[in-house]
Amino acid sequence: MGADYEWPWQYEFPPFFTIQPIPKTKEQQLISWRNLICDYHKSNRKWEVDTAGVVFQNKKIGRQLSPAAIRVVLQSLCDEGQGVMNGERCFVLWNSVAQWASLIHNWAVDRGLTNTVLTLFEIHGGDDTEGEPFHTMDIWLLHHVISYLEKEGKAELMLGDSDDFSDAGVKFF
Amino acid sequence: MGGLFSKKKPVSRVTEQDKAVLKLKQTRDKLKQYQKKIMVNQEKERTLAKQCLDQGRKDKALRLLKKKKFQDSLLEKTDVQLDNLEKMVQDIEFAQVEIQVVEGLKGGNEALDALHQIMSLDDVEKIMGDTEDAIAYQREIDDLLAGGVGVEQPDDDELLAELGDLLGAEVEEQLPDVPVSDMDLPEAPTHELEKTKTRQEQRTMVAS
Repeated sequence: MGADYEWPWQYEFPPFFTIQPIPKTKEQQLISWRNLICDYHKSNRKWEVDTAGVVFQNKKIGRQLSPAAIRVVLQSLCDEGQGVMNGERCFVLWNSVAQWASLIHNWAVDRGLTNTVLTLFEIHGGDDTEGEPFHTMDIWLLHHVISYLEKEGKAELMLGDSDDFSDAGVKFF
Repeated sequence: MGGLFSKKKPVSRVTEQDKAVLKLKQTRDKLKQYQKKIMVNQEKERTLAKQCLDQGRKDKALRLLKKKKFQDSLLEKTDVQLDNLEKMVQDIEFAQVEIQVVEGLKGGNEALDALHQIMSLDDVEKIMGDTEDAIAYQREIDDLLAGGVGVEQPDDDELLAELGDLLGAEVEEQLPDVPVSDMDLPEAPTHELEKTKTRQEQRTMVAS
């Protein structure tokens, strides 16, 4: 699947891996970085940013983004709502939280699953969501999206004992 | 509930039954993961057994296949358990639906009761009586107004007669024509006629 992703031209452009000092240029650079991260993770169906991964270092041209620069990029990603931090971990939102929320809520409504209890596991890993865009979604991210629905009054989370939400449930309305 | 401006969480819509269902579904998830693990394991052991066979280690291959067989039975058992869990979940969900049905019926019943209280039997009787009176009154007014102008009411008999005429005319129109046939009819016997004639003559003679 990774082979499907075509790197943008900037990825071969050495200055891209240094945060630019001129504000206007930096702004453009960050937009490109954000697009690159979203596209790369979307086509590889990866939810979490790997700061040591291939995204931030191009071995072919021998360039890589410094840890400080990565922080700047990820900060910009989160500021634009295209990413969300969970402690030190950063998750990519190629769809906004609101878009994901409505995708999942529509799925539940279409299947008549409102007012029933579902486990987060069956939403991201169950057979019923095979082929849905949110299938395989990281469970923490899924929880994050459902919290958004909860604020809208369209869902209620039922948290279990474990910290990783693996035993959490949700009831859609 | 809290006031309008309080930031308190609204009342949870999660019931005790929901929690029970969640527990069941969690168990189901765990069983499914367990099945997945076994299946991955089986696949691994199958390829391993094949390798052993290729290397001529028949004993080991047999042992691996035996293990696989045992895991098959485990899978079957977990399938039954999954079915049970699924059934239980459905039973609970159906019972919840039934409660909603009963509550719906209860609400409807209460509404109907309240309506009946507004509309008591006595009231209806009284209203019907009043309506009857009003109709009778109205009829009187109608009669008075109709009679007041002085137009002579046509006689019922006259009307019926006219209706009869109309009907008669219609019947005549509907009668079929007498068929005219070209067939040669036999001549009517003449002597017979004479006989009756004489008989008639006789009769008149007797009568006189």
